This record gives sequence, C-alpha cells and structure tokens, in this order.
Amino acid sequence: MLRLTLKGLLAHKLRVALTALAIVLGVTFVTGTLVLTDTINNSFTSLFSKIYSHVDFEVRGVAAFSDQQGAGAVRQPVSDTLLGKVAAVPGVAASEGLVGGYAQFVGKDGKAITTGGAPTLGTTFGSKPELSALHPISGHGPTNSSQLAMDEGTAKKHGFNVGDRVTVLLPGPPATFTIAGIVRFGSADNLGGATLAAFTLPTAQKLFHVEGRVDSIEVAIAPGADKATVEHSIAKVLPTGVEVVPAQKVADEQSSAINNALGFFSTALLVFALISLFVGGFTILNTFSITVGQRTRELALLRIVGASRGQVFRSVMLEALVIGLLASIIGLGLGVAMAVGLEALLDAFGISLPKGALIFAPRTAIVGLAVGVGVTVVSAVSPARRAVRIAPIAALQGVQAGTEGNSLRRTVVGASFVLLGGAALGVGLSAPQISLVGLGAFLTFIGVGMLSPLVARPMASMLGRPLARLRGISGRLGRENSMRSPRRTAQTAAALMVGLALVSTIAVFGASLSRSATSSVSDAIAADYIAMATSQGGPPTGFSEAAAKTVAALPGVTLASPIYAGQAKVANSVTSITGLAPKDVGVTITLRMDQGDGTGALAGGQLLVDTTTATKDKLRVGQRLKVTFAETGPTTLTIGGIYKPNIILGSYLVGRSTFNAHFAAATLPLALLVSTSGVTSREMTTELTKGLAGYPNLTVQTRAEFEKTQEAQVNQLLGLVYALLALAIVVALIGIVNTLMLSVFERTREIGLLRAVGMSRRQVRTMIRAEAVILSVFGAVIGIVVGTGLGVALVTSLKDQGFTDLVVPWGNMVTFLVLAGLLGLAAASWPARRAARLNILEAIATE
Amino acid sequence: MTMIDTIEGNPTSARRPAASAVELTKTYGTGDATVQALDGVTLEFGAGRFTAVMGPSGSGKSTLMHCMAGLDTPTSGTAFIGDAEIGSLDDKALTQLRRDKVGFIFQAFNLVPTLTARENITLPVDLAGGKVDEDWLRQVTDQLRITDRLGHRPSEMSGGQQQRVACARALVSRPELIFADEPTGNLDSNSSTEVLEFLRRSVTEFGQSIVMVTHDARGAAFADRVVFLADGRLVDELEDPTSDAILEKMKKLGG
Repeated sequence: MLRLTLKGLLAHKLRVALTALAIVLGVTFVTGTLVLTDTINNSFTSLFSKIYSHVDFEVRGVAAFSDQQGAGAVRQPVSDTLLGKVAAVPGVAASEGLVGGYAQFVGKDGKAITTGGAPTLGTTFGSKPELSALHPISGHGPTNSSQLAMDEGTAKKHGFNVGDRVTVLLPGPPATFTIAGIVRFGSADNLGGATLAAFTLPTAQKLFHVEGRVDSIEVAIAPGADKATVEHSIAKVLPTGVEVVPAQKVADEQSSAINNALGFFSTALLVFALISLFVGGFTILNTFSITVGQRTRELALLRIVGASRGQVFRSVMLEALVIGLLASIIGLGLGVAMAVGLEALLDAFGISLPKGALIFAPRTAIVGLAVGVGVTVVSAVSPARRAVRIAPIAALQGVQAGTEGNSLRRTVVGASFVLLGGAALGVGLSAPQISLVGLGAFLTFIGVGMLSPLVARPMASMLGRPLARLRGISGRLGRENSMRSPRRTAQTAAALMVGLALVSTIAVFGASLSRSATSSVSDAIAADYIAMATSQGGPPTGFSEAAAKTVAALPGVTLASPIYAGQAKVANSVTSITGLAPKDVGVTITLRMDQGDGTGALAGGQLLVDTTTATKDKLRVGQRLKVTFAETGPTTLTIGGIYKPNIILGSYLVGRSTFNAHFAAATLPLALLVSTSGVTSREMTTELTKGLAGYPNLTVQTRAEFEKTQEAQVNQLLGLVYALLALAIVVALIGIVNTLMLSVFERTREIGLLRAVGMSRRQVRTMIRAEAVILSVFGAVIGIVVGTGLGVALVTSLKDQGFTDLVVPWGNMVTFLVLAGLLGLAAASWPARRAARLNILEAIATE
Repeated sequence: MTMIDTIEGNPTSARRPAASAVELTKTYGTGDATVQALDGVTLEFGAGRFTAVMGPSGSGKSTLMHCMAGLDTPTSGTAFIGDAEIGSLDDKALTQLRRDKVGFIFQAFNLVPTLTARENITLPVDLAGGKVDEDWLRQVTDQLRITDRLGHRPSEMSGGQQQRVACARALVSRPELIFADEPTGNLDSNSSTEVLEFLRRSVTEFGQSIVMVTHDARGAAFADRVVFLADGRLVDELEDPTSDAILEKMKKLGG
C-alpha cells in the first residue's frame, strides 16, 4: 500500500507541488518568525550579559509599584552620598554612579536624529573603565561639561567624528557639545537602533534634573571576595527603598523586557502565519476531496482486489502525511532564508539589530513540522473518510466525479459550528478575551465553509449570469462548470472567503478607528496648533519643556499648554495620569464633563476620571481614591468630576500643581497645545516653526493636519495588516489554481470535444477564466458579508474604548470584490493556458 | 443546385470534392518503435456523397480521418477540406475550419455534460457567434425525433438519443463535410439503424457530404462508396456496396 501511495504521488507531481505550496508558505512564515525572534532574543541576551560582565552588583531604587518589576519598572533615583558608603564596603573594588535620561542628537542637517521607535538615550560615561559597558574606539570619554561621547552607530550613520560639535535635545533647553570620543556597547556598535549620548556624571545629573542623586550604582567586587558576603554588607549600608541586586539579574531583566516586546511582535506574525495555514487547510481539504472523487474507480478497484477499508483510509492519510512532511521541510528551509531577509529589511528601515548567530532552535523545527504536517493530515481526514465509503461496485459503474449533493448532516454540523462560533465571539468580545474571539472566528469560518455549498449553486448561477451574457457560450460554459459541483466550488471559495472576511473585518475596524480618531481629535482639542515629538511614525517621545516656554513667549500665542503624563498606581493598578493647568480647559483643551466642575476640581487638587473608567470601576464624584506615586508614595485624592473620554487626556486627570507635586522635574511633556490670537494662518505657522527651530524633533501641525496625521497613522497600520493578510490571500489563490488545474485534467475529454467542434483557444481560456472569476467573487461575497458582520461586532464591542463611530467602508468592499475577481483571473491564467494547449487528438482519445 | 445533381455527383466529375488527400503519410514514434500509420494515401471524398472508410484494426483509418479533419498533422502530403489546404492553416484558422466547415460525430463522449441537448446542438454556431437557423434546427431535430428532448441534459438521455443529438450538432451548421468516427460503435442494433438511416437520409435529402469510419459491414452498406485501407495504404474500393460484397473484401484483407 505504501509503494502504491508513493507511486501515485510521483505520478501527480504537479498536483502534489501545488497542494504542498500552500503548506510550504505557512510553515515558511512560522519558521521565519521563530528564527528571527530567537535570533534577536539571543543577540540581545548576549549583548546585555556582555554589558554587565564586568559588574557584579547594581544598587538602585526599589520598584515604586510592587506589581511592576524588571526593566520597565518606575524607580526613584538614590542619593549620590551612597556612592561613598558603597565604595567603603569591604570587598568592593570599584563602584560608580549612573544617570540616564532623554538626549536626542541633532544631525548636521539641523534635523533631529530619529530612531524608528528605539530610545534616544542620555547616560553617564564612567570614570572607571573597568566598570563601564562603554568602550571608546576613538578619542576618549567626556572629561568636562562641554564634552560627550557618541555611540559608534550614530557616528557612522550621520558622519560625526571626534572633535565635531553636536547639538543635543534635552529635557531642558538644547545644548551643544564637543564629541570627545566614539564608543561601543560591549562589542556592538549600537543597541538595537538606540542612539546614545554619554556625559560626565555631574553634567548628566544637571541635564537630567537629578542633582545630588544617581539612578543606580554599579559595583565590582575585589578578586577573591565572597559575593554573598559583599552583597550582604552592601545591603546593610543602604537605606530603605534602595536595593542591591546581582548584575546578572539586571541583565536578565533587560533582556526579558526586550523579549517581551519581541514576544508581541512574534505572536502577531505567528497569528498571520496560522491564518494562512488555516486557509491552506481548506486548499488541502479541497484537493484531496477532488482527487478522491477522481480516483473513485481506482479506489473501488483496490477494494475489489482485497484492500480493507482501513487500508484505503491509511493510503489517503499516508499521502497527506508525505505531502505535509515534504512541504514542512521545504518550509523550514525557506523560513530560515526569510528570517535572514527580514533582518536585512529591518536593517534597511534603520532598525539595526546587534549582530549575532542565526538561531535555529529545535523547538522551531518541531513547531514547523508539527504545524505543517498537522494541518495537512487533519485536512485530509474528511476526504479519506469519503474514500472509505466508496463501495467496491463503484469500480464497475461509471461514476462521475464531483456531483455529490448536499447532505443534511453537513448542514447541521455547519450550522452548529456557526452558532458555536457566534457564541464564542459574543462572549469573547464582551469579556473581552482575545483568544475566545479568535476561536469564535475560527469556528464561524469552518461553519460558513461547511454551509456555503448550500448557496454555491444559486450564487454561482447568479454571479455567472452577466458573464454568460457578456462572454457568450464560453462565459455560459464557465458558469455551468462553476455550478457543476457546489461542494467543490464552495470549498475552493472558502479559502478566499476566510482571507476576505479578515480583510473586511480590518477594513470596518480601520475605517471606524480612523473616523473615531478624527472626531475625537476635534472633540478633545480646542487649540489651533499641536506640537509633538515623533520619531518616524513611532510613539510620541517627549520633548524639552523649554520648548513650551519658548512658544508661549511668541507673539500671537495666547496660550501654550504642555500636556504631561506619568505613571501612578490608582486603585491597585498602575496607570497613566495626565497633568493639565486648569486655565487650559476650554482654551486649548475641550473637557466635556458628565458630572462635576472640571476647572474647579483641577484647581482644587482633585482627581478627574473619564466616563469609561468611572463606569468600569464604579467610581463616583466625591469618592476618595488611594493613589500611589513613585516619588511621593501613597496619598488620597478625591474624585472631583467625570469627563467624557478624551483622546489626549487618558483615564485620569489632575491639575498641573498636583502633578508637579508628585512627579520629578525630569518628566517630559508629550504634547504642546497652542492657541493663538487669530485664526490659523500661514504667517502664524511660519512664526511657530521659526520659534521652534531649536527643537527640530518637534513637529507643529494645525488641528486639521493633526487629524490627518492620526488618520494616516491608522492607515499605515492597516496597510501593514493588509500586507500580512495578503499571505492568506495568496494561499487561497493557490487553492483556486489547484482546483482549476484538477478540473481541467478531469475535463480533458470535454475540452477536447469542445476544441474539435470549433472552440478556439481564446474561447477555452475565457471559459476557464469565467469559472475562476465566479469562484473567487463567490468566495469574496461570502467573505465580505461574514467579515463585515465580524467588523461591526468588533467595533460595537469597543464602543467604550473610544470607538465612537461605526463606519462600513462600502467603497472598499466593492474594491475588494473587484480585486478578488481580478485575482481569480490571474489565478486562472495558468490552468487556462494549459486547457487551451490541450492536444485535441489526445484529449478525445483519453479514456 | 438540385437534389438530383447532388446525388448523381461522382468523384471523377468536374465538381470539386468535399475533401481530398494527396500522398498523405503519417509516422508515429522513432527508431524501432516507428509505426507507419499512413503510407502515401491519395483519395477524394465526393461532395454530397456518403463514403465509408473500412479496414482492419491498425489499418490507419482513424488516422486518415484525424489528418483530413485537421485534428492531427500529417508527416507529409497534403489534405484539403473544400479548397482549404489544412497543412497551411494555423490553429486559429483550423479551429474556424472545424467549426464552420466540418461536423463531427464520435463514438462516445460526444456531448458537453453541462449543456442541454439544444445547447449542445447549437454549440458550433454559438462558438462562431452566429445565429441559429431555427427552421433548419427544427427540421433536423424532428427527423431525429429529439425535438421533445431539447431541454434535457446528456445524463438524462439514452445512448441512442445522445448519439442522435450529436448527429444534429454535426448537421446544424450545414458543414462542407461530416466526419463520423464509429458513430454506432456503442449502440444497440435498433439505435444503430436509426442513426445510420438518418445519415443516409441527410445525404440523400439534404445533399450533405459524410465520411464515416467503421468496421461494421452492415453500417458501411448504407454508404455510396466504401474505401478499404490496410497498413496505411488505400487498397480497394466499392461503389454502391452491399453487406455481402463488403464482407467479401474484408475477408481478403484479413480483417
């Protein structure tokens, strides 16, 4: 039986290749993602280990909020008087204070150097080289307050050399320094695309507003000293709120923070890989269904000569296993290549990663093989079961392939899948629980896939009518062919259905998000201009508060409101609190109160909460809430009012004075809202731009421009998601190519006959194309209907999260439909050519 | 032209034949596996005549038909349908020729399963984008007694009915020549007779030219003329044949 299966596979190389291609693509994506993230993880882990390799301990503030640990935790600086105390501990060989903060270089062209999301770091250059992670490769470390050291990556990319002057944007006013040296991190020329400016300790303390304090103290112990003893002794000299931790732990924290961030990225990519594998599953199911149908006689003959049901089942499953295995192995190989390619692509976008060996973990191979083989084998179960049901007598009867009708069982099972999926979606969306939503969508797709044969015939007939009219007999034949086997049509279309359903969901989601964002901007901001610091489309990075003062002093400016945000723990969860001057309300910012008096409450040191949070946490005006700040510890604030959600302000709002009382002076403003005496005019814009010339990281936009930027950001994100979903669509198209190819083989005789009685090659091609267009438009219609439903459900459930407007972009949907038809045409080109080239004589002689 | 003219047409008359072949050869394979399917065949199929092509298995009779109908290309020699030299035509012209000038009746799989009987019959006209001559269609289908079956699909018809639909299709575009390749090979004797009588009648009454490949002497007796092939060569022929005369000839050929 094994020999027979393998021989069968060899005899149908093309079919096997097409079937396998769907799986190859999916496994490639899975493998590529895993290899890439493992590689990045590994490079960062080894980088951090190297950076901390000369340090034994770090002394630092205890995490301000106990439920926040690791690298991202809010920590208070420690007094620099501890430096001396720690240095005096027996067994400590060397110790040094570190300070870090915002420092962004300005390039030689006067533009701020941006990083594509990576931090722009300012730090200290230690006076003790044995402790430092920074190693000068030319020049030396800064020795006075007018010098700094620059990382090698930035220096190379932007053409800076030792001795050059460079302007740096800082929490305070920008300043210019001389480059004393170019440095490396350990052995890397940069830290994941981050830029780094290193100052002397006193300079850094002054620039980052931490005079008299340091963020951490790095400690190296004397050779031969006992680590545990020294750690214990250091701990003894530390006041409460300060801890000593092994350097390895800090390194681990740093790398795990990166790993977590990457984890999100990797999960997102894997989700898209799984979607395409799911779509590939449909393709495999379909291919096997068709070939089992075509092989009815052969399988029945096997039964006659004595093959058991089990043997027939196993032969089909074995075929799936072999194809799955083959495809997965190829996918693994291509996945590695994809990882290399992606790394190069990221590099091209300026996200340089530390160089490291490509990591191909055993886990990657296991996951890739398991997923690829699993999907193939599972998809083949139903066709294999159908093969088992073939009666031996079928060998003697002329059974036509692919004319089976709709079974009641299938309808019932399909309907239950849809119902179950709908229920899971409902629960998942209201919980909200993303995995339930995914499961719900998955079940719905399978259910719709099972039910779609019911409508395949009438739909194909309806969609084919215009084609039959336009393209005459070829169009009519194409239409008839698509109606021939509703199940085959439905299964082929199902793959595209899933792809288009997701695309439509995203379209509804995106359009609603875009509209909501725009309308929420006009609902939230009254100012004429908005200035924000952005780095190449990344999140706002914060900017120097001196900029706010500069703008406020410009003629024509009536009010410039910096918006500050910081982290605090409110009612047991760490969240962001916004600080706003009471006088800003109504001038630069629009605060629509549900309850209470906003301005009064802000001036009176009370806390304002937005409606969403108030409803969710059952908060009411007058209630007293425990709020813990990193700098000042726990305090109690009274809720003075409840405001409608505001895109700029977030969930909690306090007055500027309250904010300043609890947050360090180094906290940077995130946005600057500017009201002017006149309406926005070109002169005013020029004035503002000129006024902010010293802060090239700041972009000034009118409110209308800002709205457009918000919209553009949404669209950019959508574009990325569409691009990733394109993979699933490609897999679906391969399915269409495969089905058409199999149909062409199956109808060789018929096509030969048509050619003999006078059908031209062009007409043959038209016939196949018509069928493809009907198939794909059918899939697209169902997909768009299902997807729009999903999108509407999604947006409705997110109403409280700021999705105020529900928009169904009908124009986009029509575009998708047309695109699907065109893609169908493209998918048909090869099978159509193949059909047109059939040798008539051989075709009509084929038994 | 009158019907009498057509019936009286004779291969040596000045009238142009419906199809002709000159020194037609066809070789399959190379080296030791070479098969000489046609070995210099020269003949004419008279217009308005019913010609049967006979010969033992492997005599080249099907190959001759395929080459003369533009389904296959001869290794050497020339073949004509009317005035058109098949060898000089590209695929597009050949397709048009088959569509407009030739009708086909095969042994089996004559019909497109997704089309109704009527759609199958009008297929060549539809492919040409032409208009169906309804009166003619009606006349043909009445003769074939399939007028009440026109809305049915092939799977809903008997083998005999399917074959009669194929006859109607071959006739509907009034082709220069109909090639019938063992048209009764899959039929019982009643259905066979029905099909053969119709073919005979279409020659007699409508002046249609027909070439039929067969190895059934009874069927060949319906023809005006029988040509005999053996080993790819034209070896004999009979005018106004009877079954017995044909059987006699075939015995000599060892078929």
